[in-house]
Amino acid sequence: MKFILIDRIVSMDPGQGRIVARKQLSLAEEYLADHFPTFPVMPGVMMLEAMVQTSSWLVRATQGFSKSMIVLAEAKNVNYKSFVAPGGVLEVTSEAVQIDDTESDFKAVGRGADGGEIVKARLKLRHYNLTDLDASLAETDEKLVSVMKQRFELLGGPAAVQLAAVTAAGE
Amino acid sequence: MAMSRDEVFEKVKDVLVDALGVDDDEVSEGATLTGDLGAESIDFLDIVFRLERTFSIKIPRGELFPDDIMNNPEYVENGRMTEKGMTTLKNAMPHADFTDFEKDPDVAKMTDLFTVKTIVNYVTAKLAA
Amino acid sequence: MRWVWIDKFTDFQSGIRATAIKNVSLAEEHLHDHFPGWPVMPASLIVEGMAQTAGILVGEARKFEEKVILAKVKRASFLKEVRPGDQLRYDAEIEHLTEEAAATIGRVTLDGEPLAEIDIVFSHIDNNMSGLVFPEENFVFTDEFKSLLSSYNVSTKNA
Repeated sequence: MKFILIDRIVSMDPGQGRIVARKQLSLAEEYLADHFPTFPVMPGVMMLEAMVQTSSWLVRATQGFSKSMIVLAEAKNVNYKSFVAPGGVLEVTSEAVQIDDTESDFKAVGRGADGGEIVKARLKLRHYNLTDLDASLAETDEKLVSVMKQRFELLGGPAAVQLAAVTAAGE
Repeated sequence: MAMSRDEVFEKVKDVLVDALGVDDDEVSEGATLTGDLGAESIDFLDIVFRLERTFSIKIPRGELFPDDIMNNPEYVENGRMTEKGMTTLKNAMPHADFTDFEKDPDVAKMTDLFTVKTIVNYVTAKLAA
Repeated sequence: MRWVWIDKFTDFQSGIRATAIKNVSLAEEHLHDHFPGWPVMPASLIVEGMAQTAGILVGEARKFEEKVILAKVKRASFLKEVRPGDQLRYDAEIEHLTEEAAATIGRVTLDGEPLAEIDIVFSHIDNNMSGLVFPEENFVFTDEFKSLLSSYNVSTKNA
C-alpha cells in the first residue's frame, strides 16, 4: 500500500491559504481488513494523516517546494464525529492560519459525501531540509523534492492551482 | 481556603480554552458552549473530565449536562419541550438560567442553556457543598 | 499493511497503566513513501500506537465489554523524527474511566528520551454515539489485539 492518503487535490489557493483535497476509501486498502474485520472503516489516524498531507501540499506550493521534509509537529483537539466506510469519501479542507519558513499552522476539517463533518483538527507542521541535519544529504533532498513534484502533478496539483486562479480572476 | 467565583471562572476559562481550542477572549460568561464556542458532544465528555481534575470534584453522569432528560422523547411535543419536561429539567439544572428557554422552549435551542456561566455556577456550588 | 502498531506489552497493570514497544523496520512498506530516500515513521502512526496501547488498557479494564473507539486526540506533540531501527516505548495511563468514556495520558520515548506526548479521549460507543449505525458485537477488540495481551500474560507467568 502506498502511504498517500489523498487521491486528488480538488482546489488550492495559495494566496488565500486554502486547499481542498479528496480521499476515496476502497475496500482494497489492506489495513481495512484489520480495522475492523466485521466493520471496515477508515482509522481515525488515517484521517489525521489525510489532513496532514493536504496541509503539507499547501506549504509546498506556497514555498515553491523549498523544503523537502514536512512533518506533523503537533495536533490538537482532533475530534472524530463519524465514520468513513468503503465507497465513501473524505473531503479535507485545510486553511492556513499562518505559514512561516519552518513552521505552519492549520485548521482542517474532513467532510463526507453529504457535506457532514466527520473530523476536524488544529495542526502545526514543521518543515526543513535534510541539509539542515548534514550537508552530505543535499542529493537526498533533491531527489525527495523531485518525487514530491511528480506526486503533486499526479494529484492534480497544478490544475487545482490554475482553477483557483481562474475562479478568482472571474470574481 | 475556598475559591472565589472569579477564581473559578478563570480556571473554567482555561479548561474551555484547552478543550475547545478557542481564544481566551471568546470565553465570556454568557458564551454558549455549542453556539459560540463550537463544542461538540465528545467535547462535553472531555470538559467534564477536565473539570473533575482541575477542581478535584466528582461530576456524576448527567449532573452538569443532563442529556438523559434532554434526549427523552416523552418531554418533547412538536419540537417544543413540554411543561413536565421543563419542570424536570429545571430541577436537574439549578445551575442554568432558564429565562430565554422558558420564553421559547424550542428543543433545537436547548443547548443554549449550556453557557460558561452555567459551568461556573455548577462548580461554585459543588465546591461550597 | 497490517493494522497493528505495537509489537508487545512489557507492562500491564489492569485499570491503571500499560507499556508497549514498537520496533520500526525498513520492511514496513509505508516507510518507502514517507519519505522516498529518507524514511521516517509517520506521526499519525505513532498516534495509533498510543491509541492501541491505551485502548487495550481501557478495554481490558471493562473486560472488553465496551466498544472503545478513538473519539478525540486532545493533543499529540512530537519532538523529533523516528527512523528505521528505532524502538519506541509507549507508556499509557488511565486518567478517567466511566461507562461512557475514558481519558488517557501517554508518553512515547526513544532510548529513554522524550519523543511524544499523546493524550486521548475514548468513547464507549454503545453508551454514547446515537445516530450512528454499527454492529452489535464488539468489533473493536480483534484476535490480534487480544493476543498481544495473552502473550504478555504468558511471558510474565514464565518469568
